[in-house]
This record gives sequence, structure tokens and C-alpha cells, in this order.
Amino acid sequence: MNTFVNQFSTSSALSVIKKAQAVTDDDEEFSDAAWGSEAGFGSLAKGVPSFSVPAVQDPTSFLRLHTDDHADPNCRIKIQHGTTTLAFRFQGGVIVAVDSRATAGSYIASGTVKKVIEINPYLLGTMAGGAADCQYWETYLGIQCRLHELRNRERISVAAASKYLSNLVYGYKGMGLSMGTMICGWDKTGPAVFYVDSDGSRLKGDLFSVGSGSTFAYGVLDQGYRWDLTDEEAQELGRRSIYAAGHRDAFSGNTCNLYHVKEDGWRFIGNYDITKMHYDGPGDVPGSTKVAYGYDVRVEGRTSSNPPVAAAA
Amino acid sequence: MECSFALTGKGYVLIAADTTAARSIVKMKADEDKIKSLGPHLLMAYSGEPGDTVQFAEYVERNIRLYQIRNLYPLRPASAASWVRRALADSLRSRSPYSVNLLLGGYDTATHAPSLYWIDYLGTQAEVPFACHGYGSYFALSLLDRYHDPEASLEEGLATLRRCIDEVAKRLVVAPGKYKVKVVDKDGVREIEL
Amino acid sequence: MSIMEYNGGSVIAMVGKGCVAIGSDLRLGNQALTVATNFEKVFPVTDRIYLGMSGLATDVATLREQFRFRVNMYQIKEERDIEPEAFAHLVSSTLYERRFGPYFIEPVIGGLWKTQGGEYKPYIAAADLIGCLNFAKDFVVAGTASEKLFGVAEGLWEPDLEPEDLFETISQTLMNGVDRDAYSGWGAIIHIVTPDKVVTRTLKGRMD
Repeated sequence: MNTFVNQFSTSSALSVIKKAQAVTDDDEEFSDAAWGSEAGFGSLAKGVPSFSVPAVQDPTSFLRLHTDDHADPNCRIKIQHGTTTLAFRFQGGVIVAVDSRATAGSYIASGTVKKVIEINPYLLGTMAGGAADCQYWETYLGIQCRLHELRNRERISVAAASKYLSNLVYGYKGMGLSMGTMICGWDKTGPAVFYVDSDGSRLKGDLFSVGSGSTFAYGVLDQGYRWDLTDEEAQELGRRSIYAAGHRDAFSGNTCNLYHVKEDGWRFIGNYDITKMHYDGPGDVPGSTKVAYGYDVRVEGRTSSNPPVAAAA
Repeated sequence: MECSFALTGKGYVLIAADTTAARSIVKMKADEDKIKSLGPHLLMAYSGEPGDTVQFAEYVERNIRLYQIRNLYPLRPASAASWVRRALADSLRSRSPYSVNLLLGGYDTATHAPSLYWIDYLGTQAEVPFACHGYGSYFALSLLDRYHDPEASLEEGLATLRRCIDEVAKRLVVAPGKYKVKVVDKDGVREIEL
Repeated sequence: MSIMEYNGGSVIAMVGKGCVAIGSDLRLGNQALTVATNFEKVFPVTDRIYLGMSGLATDVATLREQFRFRVNMYQIKEERDIEPEAFAHLVSSTLYERRFGPYFIEPVIGGLWKTQGGEYKPYIAAADLIGCLNFAKDFVVAGTASEKLFGVAEGLWEPDLEPEDLFETISQTLMNGVDRDAYSGWGAIIHIVTPDKVVTRTLKGRMD
């Protein structure tokens, strides 16, 4: 009863209590309800969820102070810039190949980093730049993709998924997010690869490579790429390109993780040690020519010298 | 941005250098020759600080010719490379150092073997089967790891060189337009039309 | 990035029973780009003394020639081969000559010296870039992977290792130490110096 009084009165007992509660409540933007289905992400009724920003004058330069390792090698937050990731689409789907090295300065912190994020069973995202940024926002993207499926009763397209991500990071442009990712999948339009980065770029393309070793990967990838590669040839090309980058770039290497996205979803092909590929080749895998990838191993015994053939006496 | 490539093959060294002479955003000349012939079987491609490059290259050329005049026998590629490296290393800590990167390729008529040396402006020297200078190296080195064959014929070597040039043209933002290609083998030095 | 890390590379020397082992990786880099994988950083000075130098590659080559000259002059004047201790001091004074514009290298010396009695004893030493000598009794390291090499060497080294065991120890130390460093690696070369011969082996390491 008395609902109008309760809701609109400003001097009744109930409203005084409410005001007192509002003052003492934590100024939380996320209430506990936000974590369940009550929250309704994207539903404007409950307000758009936002990110807590540090209580400083200028969040952008605050973050730069703590992450810029060119200016200060002892900064607290180390963004992993060294990496090589690549993705290309061809008639048989999308090949995604990445290395697995994480460096902090010149120290190799880990050789077993997973740089491919499995967003959902038919979408993959690669990681380059800040590991935490990529992992968190691509997982968030997975949530968005699922909601899209529930609301629209059909799978999200790669274009839309990458647009979600791109719009999201654009909102944080200038604040220090570091991400260079490729969203790969197979949707109604066929295989698709989109490059999305933290500057706000979103590019549709056939083949991309991102990271400190990307130029080395491009050298091999461009020369071997055709639309009508077979599945095995495409996997071999992905492996060779990551090997090329791991060999020449100091900040890439250790192992190569290879994924293949087909119409029914992605499949993990394998984890290949780069040094083993140098000396022995990728082993007994479809598509491999059983030849070692390493230059010295490949040209062993061959020499450029051309001594004149001794004339028969 | 200046790019140069070099690779060895069966009895020859191929060197290619771009022909653009640029100052800030302007391409002043598009047919500059950046590969110098230092001797009957010695080639050197140079890139770097304008002015320093030609001065240093001519200094090297004249001293190598002086050696040949004095000793009646041309300096072998390994010794020439060592001499050039020493000249750059000495200049590094002088009042105004030369800032020149070089690719030195030669055919040693005594051992019948081609050799290629990568020398940078600090005086770092490495003997390598193939080499590049400039931003082009970030694209071409991995390609050469994959496709280079030390026993390739001249035609095959040119095909690999074409791959390098195409890759750089495709991916580098300010890729040079034209390249000059020269080869050194047992018959000496000559220019090749790509 | 520091000038000592520009080209990358690491060197190590270890003492064994009547022998010394000295080794280096084979990488020559231009910051992150790997230019060559055959750049040795250890050079023979005499039959029984080896010098390894890590740091800026141009200075490695320049000093290799400089020491060759100075050791030859010593031999001409003294009419005998230089001993490791004298060579270490030669290295130290050569580096200190350039105190206010130094060569950017960190040398590591490994050799055998002849005692009064005629037997050969192992000797190692290392210096910083201006010549401060470190006369260690067990092992010395230098280069971009030096901290990692210290760690592994401390764990693996023990006194009085025979030449073959010393080879195993130094190889494992060098290979595993450089595997954790982005600027070193791409193969390694080890020299085991004994009174009658020097055995040189190239190791197949991680090529990434």
C-alpha cells in the first residue's frame, strides 16, 4: 500500500533510511547481481558496466609511467611485446599459428605460453602485446558472442565478433591497452580473419602476422601462400613461417602451436618444438616434406666453390 | 629507405642495391649506383649516411687499388674485408666516424670460392652465405633461410633475388622502386638486368 | 638497450683437474635480429691459453687483433710463450688504457700455466670492460646470459673434474644458461685445454 509515498516522498521515514544507505554504501559500479544473469550485459536498464579507473589526475600518463619499458626498464608492469602470431585463410579454412615465448627484457620468462585464445568452439583469437589485456578482453568477447547467440538464435559472424572487440578497445584508446589480435573463424561468408588492435584498427584480410617476429614470418608466408593450398600444405606453411620467425627473432621461439579452423569449428593440430623442426623437421605429420627446416641442416655438404674441372691428362 | 641484398651461389656472388637517392620526403634521384667495383673480383654495396657512403667507398676503392699496384696481385676477398672492417673500426672512435653499412662480395681466384661479408657501421664483420642491410632485411632474411641454395646456378640465384625484392616491395611501407644488380664470378664483375 | 647487449653473446670458462674448459655461444645479432650463427667469441692466444670476449662484436674483432699483436711482441722480446697470469694482466692494462672511452667487451681467459716442477695447472680469470680482474678458482662467466650462467654453474660445478666430465658440465651450463636468454644461443663452441692437446667441439643448441 502507500507505494507512491514510499517511492516519491523525500521526507518519510523510508526515504531517510534510503538516503542514509546511499551515503554509506560502497560506491560500487558492479553490484553482486552483476555477475549473474540478472546483470543483463548491454542492457541499458541496469546501466552500462564500466571499468574502475585509477583515482589519479591523468590515467593515461599514469599507466604509461608504469608500463613503458623504453623509458624505464624497471617499470612494474611488463608488456610482452616479443612474439610472432599469424593467421591466414584459404580454401580449406583458417590456419592460426603462434610461437610460445614470453620475454621480460632479455630474460626468457616462459617457453610455454598459450597465445591462442579459444573464444568459443568456432572462434579463435591470437595474443600479441599485453597478455592480460588479450586474455581478459577475448574472454569477455566470448561472453558477448554467447549472448548474441541467445538473443538472435544464430551464431555470431566473425565480422560482428571482431567489431564488438574493436569498439570495446576503442573506448579505452589512449589509456594504455596493448593488444594486436586476429579474430579467426568460419561463418556464413566462409573463412574469415580480422586484425584488431588497441589503436582501434580493424582490418579484414586474407593473411596477417603480428608481433616482433612478424616481418620474418611474412617473408616465408607471402612467398608460399595461395588460396588453393591443400589442408596439409597450409599447415606446413604455418609451421614453417613460425619457425622462420623463431629462428631469426630473438624474442620469438620455443614452440609453435598450430590450429586449423574449419566449417564445424577449430581443431588443435599440434605443438611443435622450433629447435626440433630446425634439426629434424616437424616429424611424421601430414603435409611435412620430412626435411629439416634449418638452413645449415638443409644445405649441409653443399658448397659454393666451383674449382675448375681438372682436364684429363 | 635503403635496401641491399646479397647472396652466394655456385661460383658467384650476386649483389643488389636499391637505386633511390632520397632527402627527407623527396626522391632526388632514381638511378643512383650504390655498388662499387673494388677490384677485378670484388664488389661492395654501401648504404648509410649521405656523404659518408661515397667518401668511404672511394677511400676503400683507392686503397685496394694501391695494394694491387704495389704488390702486382689483387687483395683476396677475406683480406679486403678485414682491411675494410679495420678502417671502419678505427673511424668509430675518431672525431667523426663514418656511418656506412656494407656488403662485400668477392670471388677468390686461388681457392675458386665466392665469399660474402656483412659489415656494419660499427665495424662488425660476419662471413655469411646471404645478407641484407636496411629494413628489407626484416623480410628477406627468413625468405633466404627458406629458399637459398649455395649450389644454385646464376638463374636460380636471380629467381631467389627476385623473390626478396618482391617481398620487400609488397610489405615495406617505403619500398624502393628499382634495384641495380651486379654479379662477381671467375670472369670478373658485370651488371645484370633483372 | 645497453651497448653490451647490442650484439648479444655469452662466454664461460671452468677449471677442471689439470685442464680448463672455455666456451661461447655462436650468435651475432643486431638487437633482436639474428645476423649470423657462426660468430665464435673464443680465440687461441697460445697453445695453452684461450681468450673469450663477449660484448660489442666490433671490439671483439679489434681486440682479438690487438692482443695477437701484443702477445707476438711479448714472444719476440721474451723469447718464450706468455703465461696465463701475465696475459691476464696484459688484457687488464690494455682495457684500462681506454679508461675514459672503453672497449665494450668483457673478457674471459682460460689457460694452463707451468709450475716450477714442470706440471701444468689450470688458470682462469675474467675482467670487466675497464680491466678489473677477477681470479676465480672455479668458473667465470660474461655476457648477456651471465646471471643465468652463474646460476647453473653454481649448481653443476664441482672441483677436480676430468676433461670429459668437465666438457659435460660446461656444455650443460652453457646450453641451459643461454636457453633462458633471448640474446644468446643459436649453437655453442667449447674448447677443452689439456697439457698435450686442445679438443674443440661444436654443440647443437636451440636455434631460436
